[in-house]
Amino acid sequence: MPDWKQIVRKHLHILAVWSPEFTEELAAHLEDNYEALLCEGLPSEVAFQQTIGQIEGRCRVRLVMRFLQEELMTGVFREVALPGLLTSAAAYFSRWALALDHIRPKVIWLVGGELPLWWWCLLPICGALGALISRRNKGSWLRCVAASLLPSAILGTFVVPIFVVGFTISGLANHYQLVSVRWESLGLVPPGFALIPAFFSLSGAGIAEVSTKKFGCLA
Amino acid sequence: MPSVGAQIKRGSAELAVLTILAEHPLHGYVIAKRIEEQTGGVLRFDMASLYPMLHRFERKAWVKAEWQTPPNGRRRRCYRLTALGRKQIAPLRAQWRAFFQALESVTGFQNA
Repeated sequence: MPDWKQIVRKHLHILAVWSPEFTEELAAHLEDNYEALLCEGLPSEVAFQQTIGQIEGRCRVRLVMRFLQEELMTGVFREVALPGLLTSAAAYFSRWALALDHIRPKVIWLVGGELPLWWWCLLPICGALGALISRRNKGSWLRCVAASLLPSAILGTFVVPIFVVGFTISGLANHYQLVSVRWESLGLVPPGFALIPAFFSLSGAGIAEVSTKKFGCLA
Repeated sequence: MPSVGAQIKRGSAELAVLTILAEHPLHGYVIAKRIEEQTGGVLRFDMASLYPMLHRFERKAWVKAEWQTPPNGRRRRCYRLTALGRKQIAPLRAQWRAFFQALESVTGFQNA
């Protein structure tokens, strides 16, 4: 009798690492299948080839993909993280595209801070995108909102604190002589990168939600 | 035997598995065999269809899985339908009935 556990571990290494229990279950299935084929009168070599065929080639790829899909595509991932990441990608791409096309988004920076107006104008589209994908994946309204706010949340959580710390260190190093300019920038960056983008994204999500309810375009 | 399209098969799989488990707690291989036998081979689940679905049912608490070691000494993971899982069967049946009725009204075919 072949050692099916060992065979499954060898063929489906990623699953063996991810879930040894699942691997054992698959091995038990193959063992039952192999024995059933022997009972039908097939030669052991043919039975072995037919059985192992279930975890080879396309079957192996399909098995791994379906398993990972079921494991990873849980509610929060489908309804918040995935639409939120797509929203973030759309938001950051739009900013990059504006800069590339010389429609310079007036990005806030240290001295003489300017507001990224063009970028803000595109954010409702990104927010609507996140909300619609979340809604399509059966997300509740709260999850739609969370998905549309993810880009701002990322900026608010990582970029703004990094900026503030960097700015403070620069200030301590006496790079910026004018205290008023320093305070002006500190006052502009958190709203410019997190709060105002959040507002614009949220407005897009709101429009998407209302449109969906009114026109039922996702039904 | 006519083959069944992948989409229809996928949609019907949940109802088929839950219905089979409503009779007895079973392990994966036997679930697949029962469905294949009872449908005359029209519905056939490979491992990639069956086990990820069973694990999803387990996450949703529709089934409870536990390892059992029968007298022959081979461990098998048995799935037992929970009360929550049992509740899913009636709405799924209603959905499929409505689907077949709708199809019947369009195509004129009679479902069994």
